[in-house]
Amino acid sequence: MAGFLLKRLAQAIFVVVVVTLIVSVAVRMTGDPALIVAQGATDITEADLERIREGLGLNEPFLKQYLATLSGLFTWDFGRSFLGGTEVSTLIAGALPATLLLAFSSLLVSIVISIPLGIRAAIRRGKWEDQVIRILSLVGLSFPNFWLATMLVLLFSITLHLLPPSGMTGWATLVMPALTMGVILTATNVRLVRTSMLEVMQSQYVMVARAKGLSERSVLYKHALRNSAIPLITFLGLQFGGLLGGIVVVERVFNWPGMGSLAFDAVAARDYPVLQSVIMILSTLIVMVNLLVDIAYGLIDPRIRTE
Amino acid sequence: MKKTLTATAIALALTATGFAAPALADGKITVSSPQDPGSWDPIDTFLINWASLATNVFEGLTYRGPDMELVPALATSWETLDEGMRIRFELREGVTFHNGEPFNAEAVKFTFERLLGEEGAKGPQQANYTSIKEVEIIDETTVDFHLTQPDPVLLTKLAGYGAMIVPPQYIAEVGDAEFNIKPVGTGPFKMTSYSPKVGASLAANEDYWGGAPELSEVDYRFIAEPSTALAELQSGGVDVVIPPSVPVGMIPTIEAAENLEIISTPGPTVTALRFNTGNGITADENVRKALIMAVDRNAIVDTILAGQASVIASFQGARSFGYDESMEPLPYDLEKAKALLKEAGVEPGASVEINTRGNDATFNEVAQAVAAYLSMAGVNATIKPYETNVLLNDIIPQGKTGEMFQQSWGGWTFDYDNTAYAMYHTGQKWNPYDSDAELDAMLEKQRPMTDQAEREKVLQEIAAYAADRALEMPLYNMNAIYAINKRVQNFEPAPDNRLRLDKVSVE
Repeated sequence: MAGFLLKRLAQAIFVVVVVTLIVSVAVRMTGDPALIVAQGATDITEADLERIREGLGLNEPFLKQYLATLSGLFTWDFGRSFLGGTEVSTLIAGALPATLLLAFSSLLVSIVISIPLGIRAAIRRGKWEDQVIRILSLVGLSFPNFWLATMLVLLFSITLHLLPPSGMTGWATLVMPALTMGVILTATNVRLVRTSMLEVMQSQYVMVARAKGLSERSVLYKHALRNSAIPLITFLGLQFGGLLGGIVVVERVFNWPGMGSLAFDAVAARDYPVLQSVIMILSTLIVMVNLLVDIAYGLIDPRIRTE
Repeated sequence: MKKTLTATAIALALTATGFAAPALADGKITVSSPQDPGSWDPIDTFLINWASLATNVFEGLTYRGPDMELVPALATSWETLDEGMRIRFELREGVTFHNGEPFNAEAVKFTFERLLGEEGAKGPQQANYTSIKEVEIIDETTVDFHLTQPDPVLLTKLAGYGAMIVPPQYIAEVGDAEFNIKPVGTGPFKMTSYSPKVGASLAANEDYWGGAPELSEVDYRFIAEPSTALAELQSGGVDVVIPPSVPVGMIPTIEAAENLEIISTPGPTVTALRFNTGNGITADENVRKALIMAVDRNAIVDTILAGQASVIASFQGARSFGYDESMEPLPYDLEKAKALLKEAGVEPGASVEINTRGNDATFNEVAQAVAAYLSMAGVNATIKPYETNVLLNDIIPQGKTGEMFQQSWGGWTFDYDNTAYAMYHTGQKWNPYDSDAELDAMLEKQRPMTDQAEREKVLQEIAAYAADRALEMPLYNMNAIYAINKRVQNFEPAPDNRLRLDKVSVE
């Protein structure tokens, strides 16, 4: 187990370094932050720009700038934003919890909806219930998240005046963003639960369980669901990565003050320290979640532990 | 006992209604602003959304309100001396900063030493005030500005951004980083809280020298996405949505809502399609004129822009210093355009590329209309959008544009010099193709002029000259569009986003 963990950890570090390196290099190829800081200034000369660059620390060698950001993972000091000079750690301390809250709420929404529906579809395979659930999931899958978000806002905020359309001020503002993300995840998860349940239900041990005369309930939840959980957990782990990517759009539409909004603004402003730090933290998170998924396998399925 | 219960019940009921509608009871409004400037220190940023809040917190020696008139603010009067090399300001007496610190000549000197010194060197504001050599204290309420050269726009510049007067003792006490997030000025509102990327709250400065503001509180929320800001407006979450968050396409929806209205005023931004005068068919002046005449700019303003813009004849709006009323844009004349093209030897089917800012949805519609008009004159236009910063800082400066490219421009000083110099002077960053000695000479000549009437004349000549050479297809001057809840009273739309809210009240 220790060797396995060390190997995975080394992989994780490699992934984070590569991802941040690519982002750091790429963002530097697309424009000069000094020009953006100086936008609107009249009579700006090259000397002025040079002065601003010096102040932003852009004249340091690339590797030094990059390593300064990377070391933030250990020191929690990511430097200062180019935009106004706020400490990046302050921005992240505000944004990271917001994003995690939204991500986990979305996963929760998705789990709560998809598992019962998936099981239902599996046991009623081929019947009308199954068809309806499958069609619904296809519809859910086809929604672009920004469209769904807009529709929810139109319905719940503008027409019914039930929920605030944006911001992060209590649970009422969490409902629509979590639902938007959750519904789209649900669409794939329902199909996954269904397929995986069907597969397990046809296995010999389920047959044996039935033959033993166990109640259908016990067969379903004790034997079948637990075994079909493995692909689901893997998938949730992978989804978490996709979720953090997709969150940019949803956060923007709902003005959710999370990492996605931070990254979006940072790209537009060529705010290197903020962008690099956000990407670094998100990629670290994704890698860590995948690591946890691997460990979770072991807990759920003892066979993997011994491999 | 029973009495107490009733009293408690009433108190509870009152609290409950208080929670339901605190905004109405307190004279509070909420403003949606598209961007958090990151720092409230006047010398740190040049974002207009700094100004849309900070105009309420800070003041300069002069003030320019929504009517564009320059009026006294922290200075009560001024006098230009030594042929424009020195300006003497008499300062307002009895003014204090929000922290109780007195405003005086010392504060003025400190402000400009900070702006022009090491602290200001890190920010974008310093470049704007380099004509100031030093500030000399004459007495407690009199200062002399010594200049390195006469600067006709300086008094305007003192009304905004980097020239906001800051409190010396407070900054010495708390340090620069703290001042960024807890700004203190002399303005009608003081900042009570700031949460990065989320919002900020202002409270009335009851001791304001110009009289306490009508509102007791103003909340700002940073909402980047225009549709989200408007959803908040429609559902009552915000009362004011400031430019540029009101897309033209949303105007009918807002106007249809009973409790909302659109208020607009000509803004500083003018939009043109500039020509590549170096290569392609647009190297020929007559071709450029033909292309301008082929496009019905009035129709574009009326249909695509819902009338929220005015057609321009030169690269400036009606509020710009240097604007010439008598100047007419080239007329829309398709036949003449075709004739000119034929004369210039441009075959039907010739092609041009138009570069636009990809995220500017409205302009991309405009560009498509332009392309359609050009095709009627036999010119095939293809539109190639770029990300704004890439277009501004890479494609244009390096001369990698197509035959035509979008330039939306407008300085907050509303002085044509600002635009014309950057667009037409040889070697300027956004002028990669053209070099005209005569134009350069005119641009240089007007800069040191202290006689404003004379300078205005030269600026008008520059505009006429540039139009004569057809250096760009002048399109329109866009309005600054505000969407507000009708309960907001006395709202005056600021053309330059420098929103001042001390006269605003709520029903």
